[in-house]
Amino acid sequence: MNENRNSNELKKDYWKSLKDYNNDPDLLKIKANEFLEGVTEDFDESKLSGISRRRFIALLTASTAFAATACTDYRDKGEIIPYNKRPEEIKPGKANYYASTCNGCSQSCGILVKTREGRPIKIDGNPEHPINNGKICSKGQASIINLYDPERLKEPLISGRKTGWSNIDKDVITLLDNAKKNNKEIAIVTGKVVSPTVKKLLDDFKTKYSSTKIYSVELIGDKLRSEAWFESYGSYNYPAIKFDQANIILSLDSDFLGNEGNFIENMQKYSSKRDVVNKVNFNRLYVAEGRMSATGMMADYRISISPDKQYQFVMMLIKEVLKSGSSINLSNDFITRINSVNSSLKIDRSKVNLLLKDLIANKGKSIVYAGDTLSKDVHVAVNFLNEILGNTALYDYSRVFKSFIPYAKNEEIIRLIDSMNDGNVDVVIHFDTNPVFILPGDVGYEAALKKVSGTISLTESENETSAVCKFVLPVNNQLESWGDSNIRTGVYSLQQPVISPIFNTRQKESILLTWLNGDPSLYTDDLYHKYLINSFNTGIYTGIKNSADEKTFWYSVLHDGFITFNEENKISNFNFNALTNKSNSIESNGYTLHLTESYFVGDGRFANNGWLQEVPHPVSKVSWDNYASVSPSLAKELNVDMDDVIELSANGKTFNVPVVVQPGVAEKTINIELGYGRTVVGDVGKGIGFNPIILMNKISSSSPFVISNITIKKTGDKHKLVSTQEHHSLDDTFVKDFHRIRKIIQEGTVEEYNQDPHFLHHEKHEVFGITREHKYTGVKWAMSIDLNKCTSCTACVTSCNVENNIPVVGKDQVGRGREMQWIRIDRYYSGTPEDPIVSNQPMLCQHCDNAPCENVCPVNATNHSPDGLNQMAYNRCVGTRYCSNNCPYKVRRYNFFDFRDHFADEYYQNNLTALVNNPEVTVRSRGVMEKCTFCIQRIMEARSDAITEGRELKGSDVVTACQQACPTNAIVFGDMNDPESKISKMRDHNLAYHVLEELNIKPNVTYIAKLRNTHPEGN
Amino acid sequence: MKKTVLDYALKIRLPLTLFVIATTFVLTYYISRPERDSIGYSPEQPIKFSHKLHAGAMAIDCQYCHTEVGKGRHATIPSVNVCMNCHSVARKDKPEIVKLTQYYEEGKPIPWKRIHKIPDYAYFNHSVHVNKGIDCTSCHGDIKEMDVVGQVRQFTMNACLDCHREPHKNLPYLEKVNNGPDNCWACHR
Repeated sequence: MNENRNSNELKKDYWKSLKDYNNDPDLLKIKANEFLEGVTEDFDESKLSGISRRRFIALLTASTAFAATACTDYRDKGEIIPYNKRPEEIKPGKANYYASTCNGCSQSCGILVKTREGRPIKIDGNPEHPINNGKICSKGQASIINLYDPERLKEPLISGRKTGWSNIDKDVITLLDNAKKNNKEIAIVTGKVVSPTVKKLLDDFKTKYSSTKIYSVELIGDKLRSEAWFESYGSYNYPAIKFDQANIILSLDSDFLGNEGNFIENMQKYSSKRDVVNKVNFNRLYVAEGRMSATGMMADYRISISPDKQYQFVMMLIKEVLKSGSSINLSNDFITRINSVNSSLKIDRSKVNLLLKDLIANKGKSIVYAGDTLSKDVHVAVNFLNEILGNTALYDYSRVFKSFIPYAKNEEIIRLIDSMNDGNVDVVIHFDTNPVFILPGDVGYEAALKKVSGTISLTESENETSAVCKFVLPVNNQLESWGDSNIRTGVYSLQQPVISPIFNTRQKESILLTWLNGDPSLYTDDLYHKYLINSFNTGIYTGIKNSADEKTFWYSVLHDGFITFNEENKISNFNFNALTNKSNSIESNGYTLHLTESYFVGDGRFANNGWLQEVPHPVSKVSWDNYASVSPSLAKELNVDMDDVIELSANGKTFNVPVVVQPGVAEKTINIELGYGRTVVGDVGKGIGFNPIILMNKISSSSPFVISNITIKKTGDKHKLVSTQEHHSLDDTFVKDFHRIRKIIQEGTVEEYNQDPHFLHHEKHEVFGITREHKYTGVKWAMSIDLNKCTSCTACVTSCNVENNIPVVGKDQVGRGREMQWIRIDRYYSGTPEDPIVSNQPMLCQHCDNAPCENVCPVNATNHSPDGLNQMAYNRCVGTRYCSNNCPYKVRRYNFFDFRDHFADEYYQNNLTALVNNPEVTVRSRGVMEKCTFCIQRIMEARSDAITEGRELKGSDVVTACQQACPTNAIVFGDMNDPESKISKMRDHNLAYHVLEELNIKPNVTYIAKLRNTHPEGN
Repeated sequence: MKKTVLDYALKIRLPLTLFVIATTFVLTYYISRPERDSIGYSPEQPIKFSHKLHAGAMAIDCQYCHTEVGKGRHATIPSVNVCMNCHSVARKDKPEIVKLTQYYEEGKPIPWKRIHKIPDYAYFNHSVHVNKGIDCTSCHGDIKEMDVVGQVRQFTMNACLDCHREPHKNLPYLEKVNNGPDNCWACHR
């Protein structure tokens, strides 16, 4: 690669991308410039106004003169309109919070919805919820804008024509009755059912219409995991993992810290063993994967392995572990059978040996965890491996993942489609799901659906399925709905509406209830509400035997959002027959395609959410697209680079997708994220990404997400991908090995730290200033970010977006480097492109005491507050951008447009979407600079509360939006002048450092250096 | 005839200077009239509600109607049901009360004309000021004497800062008072 880099330097020489690693001349040019090329040039002569300067000034003068003569003495100030009868709980200017349950995925996290004057403006985790402990992911945070999506369905439709609810109800009831009479099937296709009440409703439906069949379909979900658990232990309900008690974690292509299972819960548990303040023993994370996942970025050791080789890998581990003995009794026959499995594998033995040593030394205190996309065989083998390691002690049976309705098996879906084609299905009800998009392309669901007379879609906005359905019924957003969830044993959460339906929509359960009642006129808005209370009283209330009366108990659970109780779980023994001894190795040319879930758009349901589309990918930092990530060596082999389109062929189908060369990807593995490429979707998601679901196979014996034997061809086409990874590069014109010399990322190992806790600061210089130091008396705000805990999940980014009214700028503008997010997560690689080590660093305004931006502002729009904040007054800003030029951290964002009106033909510029804005934060317009404010609106609110209560403002009164969202509590905020505060302890920590400390600009954001828990024998 | 310097001074320089001076005066006068800062603005309200009667003669406390003034950002204009606390019984037959009752019964809010307004990029908080002991009259004038409420003080940034910087001078009745914050983010964000 590059001769300048000798092996000594390699270890701590951080690089941001392959171009950076290879000292690409283009990138050096970019880094030398303040803004990306073209970032400031947007002029197309033909688009310029035809009015000459002279004419313009004449018009200006004339209009001023007219305006002056039209002036009255007083300007009209409009009206101020109070309520007629003010609801008691609404106080203008004060927020109300309602506990509810998130519907973004099937994990049912507890949420607190913040409403102002009756409109929801922010979703955060419910701090008391036992599973997610006050945190939710990016998707949950950003889902609020779906409520205000201007393209939501507003009226019920029959064959595309608007109609009334009673017409539809009448038609559907007739259809259902006919189906019952003729004994034709009624199919209800739903996602994963998490609610006991919905289960009851579906059962009731089945009782009335006996020919009803329920199909639970998800794109990824935990289908393979729960089915493997069923084979291993005879139950679809599988336990949670106590990651907080694991010393050694081996993740097999599982993104348990990124987007699998309840990753918020996982992250919290994982990071509790990465706590440098309470000095706990660190866990050690091994990740064996073919792609580069968010979890892989956190790994202490990454083992590159193709996903179709995982079975051999686990069997090899099992064989090796068995040599050292097993925690359970095994017959000799069985051991012989295991040993006969072919597990030959080409793999980096040095890391595997360390892994085996660790696993064997930590029996009962380690965990092996396989990914959702791996085949059942791998899961069963992993279950067995955990058994022989005694790791079943780490299974948490008190919070089991429940399954109310098992997923539809592949055969069932194929049978459904066959009977649809044969005319044996009269009615198909899509219960807020999109099977046309998520089912593999070759099952022919869409074609079969066209042969059914009664196709019904209950959905929030148009999708691929509703487009082919006759009846399209708009349903309430999650914030307009009642609901409940009992997806984890012992935790029952309630969901309550926080706003009445904005459009002529209905709760999806109420729609079914009306059909059950058989009379459209019986519909009332509280139909499901009553049903829910009833089901609550007969189920939860009776089960818990609470001493309070029904109504009091209901309101107390509604207030808290959840209730915990004891729920029995049967624990059974491992079924050894589940472990098949087939070697699972298909003859292959070696090229494997791995389809995984997207971090942001889920199974495609968030495709029309601009905030989520614009969040940069945690690893590649690409936004507004999916892509095929290929290893550098494969890229070389195919002679492709980023943006080049390749053609993948598998199962007789071909698929074109652009390439991202991703360091760390296994040599012949290609990874594509699912959920992109929606065709029937709103303007935001239209034409975004590529849909690889068409490559999936309907009868996949192992895993539909791992496709072996693919062929790859370069097409010569280009598709521009936008990645933010080179934007806002910290300047490095003069020093090539800048990251090392400037110490932007500082890291060490646990061993180093234990030997010498002060190791980070040995080379530290004293910095002198030439000005007198400003004294900060009173509160002084500061933040610390613990890089040991940051998993780059981007919950902070989205939370900040929602809190601070940050606009969506669109793909084109991101490509020009104009993204507006106030917090970005920088990603640096070290090591080699084949085996990189990844470091993440959230970067936001550092609120420097000696802020360089302040000195250069010609109008004093940015200056310092007495509590240590670097303030930015939008109204003073004239848009010179000198401040951004002078900012060493590149955290200032400039409004090149009024992005609300610029993005997608004013998509978000309408009276409805404006309701999502936080009324405490100015909506910035074109031509002003903005940046992180440390959530000044929250500081001022806390200050006003302190004054109202007649006490001093304390640092702990303020929680910033990013801090509130951070699932691992990596972000600490508070008053550094208070020696007792958590933030001053963080600032004094041995591992604390400031980025670019030697500039003597005194940043107020402290980073806690990351420690890697390398094996003592591994160095 | 040859043009002299005097000609130039009298014919061109002098009128030009006078014109500039005159324009400056006119503009300065025009801009600095109190009306430009809305002082004296007292528009006609949909209902002729008299503060002089309610707050003055009957001495009803400001916070009886403006309930949130000590608790939150907005002082809040009372909703119609607050008026009806008394007027469902008192003075039911008076024409203005009939109007009020009509609003109430039709469930319509009353479109009061706004008198005091600061721009929406400034975030003023009533509770902070009231809880520091600042009297309503210090900004809103002697409401108790107003039949029709009008603006009596400037609501400009200058006026805010004047008081924040010299609270003793502007709020002589407060024994203990600190300077108010005068940094940007105290009001703008």
